[in-house]
Formats: sequence, structure tokens, C-alpha cells
Amino acid sequence: MGHGDHKGRPSKKHKSSAKEEQKNPFFEDEDAYFGDEIDDDFRYGEGKKRDFSKLELKPDHANRPLWACADGRIFLETFSPLYKQAYDFLIAIAEPVCRPESMHEYNLTPHSLYAAVSVGLETETIISVLNKLSKTKLPKEMIDFIHGSTANYGKVKLVLKKNRYFIESPFPEARFCSVLKRLLKDEVISRARITSEGSHGNDGFTISKTMGEMGNGPDSLLNEAELAAAAEEKETHSFEIDPSQALSQKVRNRTSSCQQVENVKQRCLPNALNYPMLEEYDFRNDTVNPDLDMELKPQAQPRPYQEKSLSKMFGNGRARSGIIVLPCGAGKSLVGVSAASRIKKSCLCLATNAVSVDQWAFQFKLWSTIRDDQICRFTSDSKERFRGNAGVVVTTYNMVAFGGKRSEESEKIIEEIRNREWGLLLMDEVHVVPAHMFRKVISLTKSHCKLGLTATLVREDERITDLNFLIGPKLYEANWLDLVKGGFIANVQCAEVWCPMTKEFFAEYLKKENSKKKQALYVMNPNKFRACEFLIRFHEQQRGDKIIVFADNLFALTEYAMKLRKPMIYGATSHVERTKILEAFKTSRDVNTIFLSKVGDNSIDIPEANVIIQISSHAGSRRQEAQRLGRILRAKGKLQDRMAGGKEEYNAFFYSLVSTDTQEMYYSTKRQQFLIDQGYSFKVITSLPPPDSEAELSYHRLEEQLILLSKVLSAGDDAVGLEQLEEDADDIALHKARRSLGSMSAMSGANGMVYMEYSTGKGKLIGQKSKPRDPAKRHYLFKRRYG
Amino acid sequence: MPQVRIIAKNFMDMVASLPAMKLDNLYSNAFICEAILRSLPPLAKKYVLQMLCIDGPISAKSMQEWVLADGASKHKVAVDRLLQLRIFTETVDRKRETSYRLNPVFQSNLQKLLVSGEVLPGEPLPSSITARLPSLEELDVFAIEQWECFMLQLINSSQAERPSNISSSTMKVFQRGLLTQRDKEAPRLTESGFQFLDRGVDPADLISFLLELSFHVTGEAYNISSLTDIQRETIKDLADLGLVKLQQGRKESWFIPSKLATNLSMSLTDSSSRKQGFVVVETNFRMYAYSTSKLHCEILRLFSRIEYQLPNLIVAAITKESLYNAFENGITAEQIISFLQQNAHPRVAERIPSVPENVTDQMRLWEADLNRVEMIPAHCYDEFPSREVFEGACEFAREGNGFLWEDSKKMRLIVKAEIHKNMREYLSRSK
Repeated sequence: MGHGDHKGRPSKKHKSSAKEEQKNPFFEDEDAYFGDEIDDDFRYGEGKKRDFSKLELKPDHANRPLWACADGRIFLETFSPLYKQAYDFLIAIAEPVCRPESMHEYNLTPHSLYAAVSVGLETETIISVLNKLSKTKLPKEMIDFIHGSTANYGKVKLVLKKNRYFIESPFPEARFCSVLKRLLKDEVISRARITSEGSHGNDGFTISKTMGEMGNGPDSLLNEAELAAAAEEKETHSFEIDPSQALSQKVRNRTSSCQQVENVKQRCLPNALNYPMLEEYDFRNDTVNPDLDMELKPQAQPRPYQEKSLSKMFGNGRARSGIIVLPCGAGKSLVGVSAASRIKKSCLCLATNAVSVDQWAFQFKLWSTIRDDQICRFTSDSKERFRGNAGVVVTTYNMVAFGGKRSEESEKIIEEIRNREWGLLLMDEVHVVPAHMFRKVISLTKSHCKLGLTATLVREDERITDLNFLIGPKLYEANWLDLVKGGFIANVQCAEVWCPMTKEFFAEYLKKENSKKKQALYVMNPNKFRACEFLIRFHEQQRGDKIIVFADNLFALTEYAMKLRKPMIYGATSHVERTKILEAFKTSRDVNTIFLSKVGDNSIDIPEANVIIQISSHAGSRRQEAQRLGRILRAKGKLQDRMAGGKEEYNAFFYSLVSTDTQEMYYSTKRQQFLIDQGYSFKVITSLPPPDSEAELSYHRLEEQLILLSKVLSAGDDAVGLEQLEEDADDIALHKARRSLGSMSAMSGANGMVYMEYSTGKGKLIGQKSKPRDPAKRHYLFKRRYG
Repeated sequence: MPQVRIIAKNFMDMVASLPAMKLDNLYSNAFICEAILRSLPPLAKKYVLQMLCIDGPISAKSMQEWVLADGASKHKVAVDRLLQLRIFTETVDRKRETSYRLNPVFQSNLQKLLVSGEVLPGEPLPSSITARLPSLEELDVFAIEQWECFMLQLINSSQAERPSNISSSTMKVFQRGLLTQRDKEAPRLTESGFQFLDRGVDPADLISFLLELSFHVTGEAYNISSLTDIQRETIKDLADLGLVKLQQGRKESWFIPSKLATNLSMSLTDSSSRKQGFVVVETNFRMYAYSTSKLHCEILRLFSRIEYQLPNLIVAAITKESLYNAFENGITAEQIISFLQQNAHPRVAERIPSVPENVTDQMRLWEADLNRVEMIPAHCYDEFPSREVFEGACEFAREGNGFLWEDSKKMRLIVKAEIHKNMREYLSRSK
């Protein structure tokens, strides 16, 4: 979509707006960035056109579904008869760049290949299947790239068996065996090794037999490719490491017990020995940890894509750690609950806030046969404990990671959480939690298997990459459009409503002295207010819809909600009140619209809502846009009505109101990029409200508009800024100020879209001047422009 | 030059815009009459044949009865076309009744054609004289090559392998019309395109030559010496375009018409012979073109950013910058959209709309964005000697419909440039 038209805007004023965006240091502080200075060109390699027309076409190319370029880009025809197989294969080995209707684009990256190898695909398999699907001969560069990227990946596994950690390599050939030897040459690892007495020969490696990969990976679908790995027994070599052996051989205490394992893992990461370890949990043979008696209820029927994501996780009879990406509303919780009930061990489930803790606990009871006394919630408000020796604990990240002083009761519970060996660590909304938080949570809790769930694996910073190694590779990612077509999620009509600034507001917007109020000015633009009011009326009265209005700007949120007399929820709203308002929204016929600040972005489940109106948003965050859309993705109504040509093809609506000629236009384009890449399209609406409804709406008269304007102008700069969130009152943010610059991660699939990150810590006060940026820290992109 | 200004969309529009005298002259050539007949819309064709043997005029009223009520618009189009081409002549009698009759020259030529059958405009040379003639396939390849080379030159002169003697200014004129060109097999010459062939030659002569050419047999050799001097000059240009291939024998030289030439007068009105489309536009503004043609690539480059070139696929992105580039070159959003729609890949062609709505909307909005500022040449007046003079001047400007803006505090006034002269006179008078 559009870009670059605002290039002329001085970046300075942009920075000042970012200054207002001091936010909760815990969650939302990762993706304020300076979109101005980025060309979209960069995303596609600086607009450099790539000529691969010399590639040799195969004679039967029409029957093959894809083109592969030397730079890793892959194009897939969705109308090919082999599409389904090719899609399953590509999603396993490559990152989706965009997936609209007719043509998909993917990128082959080291991360994606790591993920591919970890679900059991081997280098030669990847190359031969890719070659079979490709219309052209595979470029040599790509083959080399695959070889190079996969040479070290997937060769070493960390397996927890009967509470003993083993490092094993499934390749009996000498050349791979030497991987283990090479690892042992490392000081850290060799010190951690427990030399078992009595094992002779084979350099003291334990040789065991494990079942080979059962062929239900993506490959087996390609019967043409005859890929299904035989279920033969494979010899694996392994050695054991001692988790409890502290570096200085001191007291073996519980807290440091996993430290050693973490150290070994660290040594294996790409920046050190470059043999990243896959974590697997042989839960069937785990006799040490008590079983948890839970099954999926018969009515819980996982859908095909849920089944597929689970099969990726449990591919070889063991449980793999990793991330599953499903759109909001597609039933992530069922995947989580299913995984827990397959492993049948104690499960620690982490959510982002107290509301979603309640919802997870509910989901567990809804889908599985777990008894009420086996599941407990642990938040600042409810401190329950389960009975018996195995169970499910649902809590928030903050509760676990909290480093300050706790109440006696929570101290006890947290001690229990730390001491227990969890079969499954289930992590919801992994995209919102920064990596250092994960590190903390993961080092505090001992778990055999980690499963991360998210809808949008995009962050405007680099930390997605960390997730890859902290939790595990991405195991599965669903295609949004396919789910829409299958009727599993709602078919949403997205619209961008252009609201021209009124003359008076625009004049103020352009003034230098109002640089800090820019956001307030374009959000409070009377035309926008009127458009919003019109949409609310239309959907409430004519369609009887349930509407959520999102505003990041607290000033605007209160102004809008008060003027329109609607309930609102923001950071300071108490848990009780939140629950009350949400309950009223769900059940009452009089409450059809609620105003939410960004507390509503994630994990608050409001299945009734089917209309979203967004009046202000957080700069150019693509993730926020997708998360908000996710609030209405849960499919409603009868399936046949929702299909193309049905009674109501669209029954969910997403409106994003933008004031024209302001920086909002620019952000809006950026924000939509993720959804557009998933195949959504935004219709531009330019004439709202319609002229015939002019007089009924607020701010019709100029005097009213001027009063509003003076209200905005007289409000303090801090009052019109963005909301600061403090999730969960019990836990205060414990993170130090952190500032880093990063390129957009390859993992997110939006390779190359680079933003400068701006994050503030808790130490900073509102309005305090930010330190001048150290030019040396500038990202090279910016350096080039200034240099 | 044409007196009646018609926006020429194709060759026949061009013919229709010729002055009356020249048109009448054209009809003295029987081939042209036949070619014109072929080019008519179906209903108009029917009327001509119906009236072929009627010598007197027929009243418009009775003609209207020939069609059912719902065919009225087609009827009107047909009659208008016939009038434009001066095949019909209109007479209005005293009772204000309109009636039509066929152009007599046209009529007699067609009658002759009907009676004596078709005659070829020239005898092909016997194979004993000519050297080996190119096969039809070879001729096609040659014609397409020439045409593409010419087109490439239009778009991007650096891409063409051979230079030609076409001046850069006429190239520019061509470039604008390029996107309306729909089908490379049957290129349409537009009015402006025609100007380039013109070069001091009477357009009527040229038209008659081109139409005559279209009745030659594809792939046969014709003696160049049978042509007039003007025609001999022109045929070199036509060879550049791939309409004919020239060959030089020992004694004589000859030209071989290609399909491009013989198709000129064939089914010019119905575009039933449309080629299969090749472009897929996605909702994310990405464009995938199934083509190996360099020409296609260059055409797409006019309004998009080419990102990948694969053996049989061109991947491009439509961006605001790329579109602004196109707008600067005088290409309109409408032209681009219709190009995309007409060339939609069969996979998406049956989809409605074939080009995603959000893309077309956005293109139009971007174009509209450019036109938000309207430029009006104007003059600014200040330092009025007194308020009366200032107010008088404002009043004068308002009356003269040239008032644009005033600042009564600082006594400044802006008026349209067209009343500047009057304003100056007025001010000197009021001093």
C-alpha cells in the first residue's frame, strides 16, 4: 500500500510524539518506532529487481506449483492441484511473507529451516521435495543455503528421561557421532557431563534405540515424493549431563539446578558452538512424575488444523517444545488443553493477565475431564492450590517472574511452582512477553516441554528470534484465509475510514508548539468523532451488533465514552468492575458498545462482539492491529450464511478511523501490513458520516467543535498522551530501562521491515526529556541516511 | 486536420474524423468501401445492406420502426456511426422530418462489388521471380518482433535492440496511447499514432493505402514498383512496424504483407479475438504477470515496481511512487485499471471484480490526491491607497467573476489572471 508520502515530515516531531508513549515497561514497550525513516523498499530488498529469468523451466512446469529464487524467495500458486501438499510443506520449511488469494510468497531463512529440521525433516528431503514442486530447476544458491543452514541443526537433542537429562544425537554414522565429541570438547559441557561408570566402547556414549519419525509430518502427504520416513528403529548415541551440578560444585540447591542445563543449552546456540538443541520429552516413559488423570471430553473435537498442529508437536511419540501460531478465535485454547491432556502430567499455564487466567481455567474445565480440585488459579486476587500430586496451575507471567517481596501465601505457592517438575509449560500470547521475561520464567520453572501459543508472531523488534531458541521452533502456522474459507473464523470486512481534519483542528495540528498534542488533535478531530458516532448508531440500531471501540489515547477514550455515554475499561479499571462491564456487555440488551483502552488488545475473550471501531492506536504496530481484529474473529452465525454468496457473507466489521493528512495515515498503512499480508483487504471509506445524517450527530455546530478544541489544547501534555498500563497490581515491573535497536526478525516473516525501537523503562517520568540518542547506536539504516 | 473532433479510439474512429471531402474521396476506392463496411457495428451493417438497392431517402421515423423498443440505443449508435462516416447523408424537409440516404458513391461501389465479386488489389508475383518467401510462421514471428521492438522503444528506448528512425517527440505521443492498446496481435492505430506516419503525407492517401493493403493476401509477394511514390515512401515505415516485410530480388523488390496488415480492416469493432490475460493483482498490491515478454515487463514497469523476473513470471508491486510515476507520464488511473482488467489472468478474470476493489479504489484515491490542489493563474494586489478603492476593487472583481480572495484588514486582493487587464484599467480609472 502506500508509503513514503510523508517522507518530507521532519523526523524530529515524530520523536517528540514518541516521548509521550511511555508505557508499561512490561508489556507494550517494544514497538514504538520511527516509521518515518523507513522505506518499504527495504522490505523487498531496496527495490532491487531480481532477474531469475535465466532459470531453466521444466517441461511440465504447468503442473508444478512453485518458483524458487536464489535469494530464498518462493512463490506458490494457490490454484495448483498440489497446493495443499505444497502449503503444508512450505509452512514447515519457510516463513510466509504474504498469503493472499492466488499467490503466496515465502522466504527461506535459517530460522525456518531450523524449525523444519526440528520437526523431523532432513536436509536431503527438503531439497528433493522442493525440487519436485518447483517449476524450474532449483537454483544452486538455494541448495547450498539449505545445506549450510541445516548442517548443524537438529543434530543434537536434549531429552529429559526419568529426570535425567541426556544429550543425544540420532545419527549413528561416525560423522555425526563426532558432533557429540565436539560438544564434549567444550569446557562447560564436558564439566556438566556425568560419566557413567561401566559404559565402554563408543567413547562411552550410551547407545539406545528409539522409534524413528512416524510418518505423519508434512512430507508423508506427498506420496509422489515418497518421503515417509520408515518407522525403523534408529540407533542414537547419547550422554548424560548433570543438571544439579553447580559450576562451583557448591550446595545442590533447587534454584540453580536448571542453571547447568541452561548453560549447556547456551553453549549450543548459534552464537557459540552452533548446534542448537531440540528439546523433547519422552512423557510416556516418565515414571517419576505422577500422572494427571485428564482426558479430552468427547465433544471436544479438534478441527483439522488443530489436529495438524498437535501432530507436529507429538510427531514421534515424544513431545516437542515449540510455538504454534493460530489466528485469534481459531481455538488456540483447545490446542493447549489437548496438548496438556495428551501429556497427562502437571501443567503450568501462563497467561498475560488476570482476566485471561480466569478464561484459561474455564477452558480447561470446558474441554477436559479435569476435576475442579485439580486446577487452580494463582493471581493477585485468587490464590488457590490444587490437591493431590498432580494438577494444573494457571497464572500470569508477572506472578511467576516477580522478583520483589511477596505475601507469605504467594511465596508458598511460588515455591511450590518452582519445586515442581512440570510436564508441560503452556504459554499464551508469547508475542507480548519480552525475551528476558521468558528467560526468567523458564529458568525459574522446570518443565519438560514448552508450548507457546500466539496469533501474531510479529514484533517490531528482534525478540521473536529469541523465542526460537528459548521456547523452540515454530511448529505450525495456519493460513488465515484458508480458515476463513473453511468457516472456522469470521469473515471480516475491514475498512479504513478517512476523516478529514476540520480546518480549526488542522491549523492547530500544524503548529509547532502543539507537537506533543498532535495525537490528541487528530484523535479528537470532530469529523472522526462524528464518523464514530454514526457507525455506533448504525450498527446498534440497524443491525443489532455488539461493538468494541478501541482507543489507545486515554484522553480520547474518556471524552468519547462520556460524550456517547458508554461504559469503558482501561488500565485503572478494577478487576471486579471489568468483569461486571464485560458481563453486562455479554448479556444485557442495553449495553451494546464498550470502549476499551489497549488493555483489551490481548486475551480478553469477548465472543459476542462483532464490530470493532478503532479511533486511536499505537503508532504503527502491526501486531496490535491483528490482535484487535482477533477480538471479532470468532465465527458467529451459521456456516452456510457466512460462505461467499450466503445470507451474510460478512458479519464482522473492523473499522479503523484515520484523520487524513496527519501522521495517522502513515501509521495506518504500516499497521495494516500484517493483515494485508494475510490476505485481508481494507476498503477505504471517504464519506462518513453521510451528509443526510449531519445534524443528528454531535459536534455539528462550529461552536461545539471550538469548545472541544480548546479542551484538547488546555489539557496538559501528559493528559493527552498514551495510557500507561500496569498489569496486575500485585506485581510491579521489575525491569530496568532497556534500549535496543533491532531489525525486524526474520522469524516474523516480514523480513527486512525495520523499525527503530524506542522503549522506556520505569525509571523515566512522563515529560522527562529523553536522552539524546547515541549516534553509534543507530541502526545502520539510519546511519546511512544521516551520514 | 479533422474538423469534427472525435476522440479516436481506433483506426476507424480516425477515419471517421476525416473531413467530409476526403471521406467522399475515399469512397471512390472500392476496397475502402468494403473495409468500412466490415468495420461497422452489426446493426449499421444491416442498415447499409438493407438500403443498398434503395435509391431514395428513407425517413428516420420509418427506420426507427425497424427495431424493437429496447434496441433504441443500438439503433442510435448505428445511425450516428453511419452519419459520422458520411455513409448516410441526412436531409431535413420542410415538415422537419429527417430522412437518410446512402452515400451514392459508396452505394454504387458496394453494388459493383456485390455483382462482380471481390477482386484483389494487385497480382502477387509468381514464385519464379521471387526468392524463397518466408513461411507464415516466420512472417508472424517477424511481425511480432518488429512490433514489440517498436513498442519497447516507445516505453524504454534503452531496451530495444535496434534503433529506428522514429523521432523522440512522436514517441512521447505514442507512449500516452499505449495503455489503451489492448491486443498486440491486432494493434490499433490511434489518431496521434497516425500523426507519426503522416509526415506531410495526406492522411486520406495513407488511409486508403493502409486499407488497400489489408486486402492483400498474407504471405504473398507484391511488386513494389506497382506502388505510387508516396506509398513506396510509407511502406518502409510500415516495415519498421512489422506490417510488411520487404525483400530485395535481383531486379525487383517486393513486399510481403504480414498478419498485422491484413487484419487491419478485419473485425475492428468486435474484440472477440481477445487474447488470454496474464495478470493477477492481489489485495496486497502485488502483481503477478504470467509472461515471458519483455514488452509486458516494460509496460508493467510504467506503473509498478518490478521485483522479480522469473522464467515465465514477472512479480511486481503497485506502489504509490510507481503510480505517481505513471501519472506524471500522463497515464491515468482509469487506463491502468482497464489495462489490468482486460488482461486479467483467466484464474481471476471470472472473479468480480477481476482486480481487487481495494486496489482500484486506492489507485483512484491516489490520483484524486494529486488533483486536490487546483491551480488558477492569479494576480495579487496590495497597497491600496484607500479603503474605498480597495472595496471598489473587490466589488469590481466580484462583478467580473474574477474574485478569488481578499484580506480586508491588510487590504490585499487576489483576482484571476483573466481579469487582470480590466482590473488595472479600473484601478487607473479610480485613481
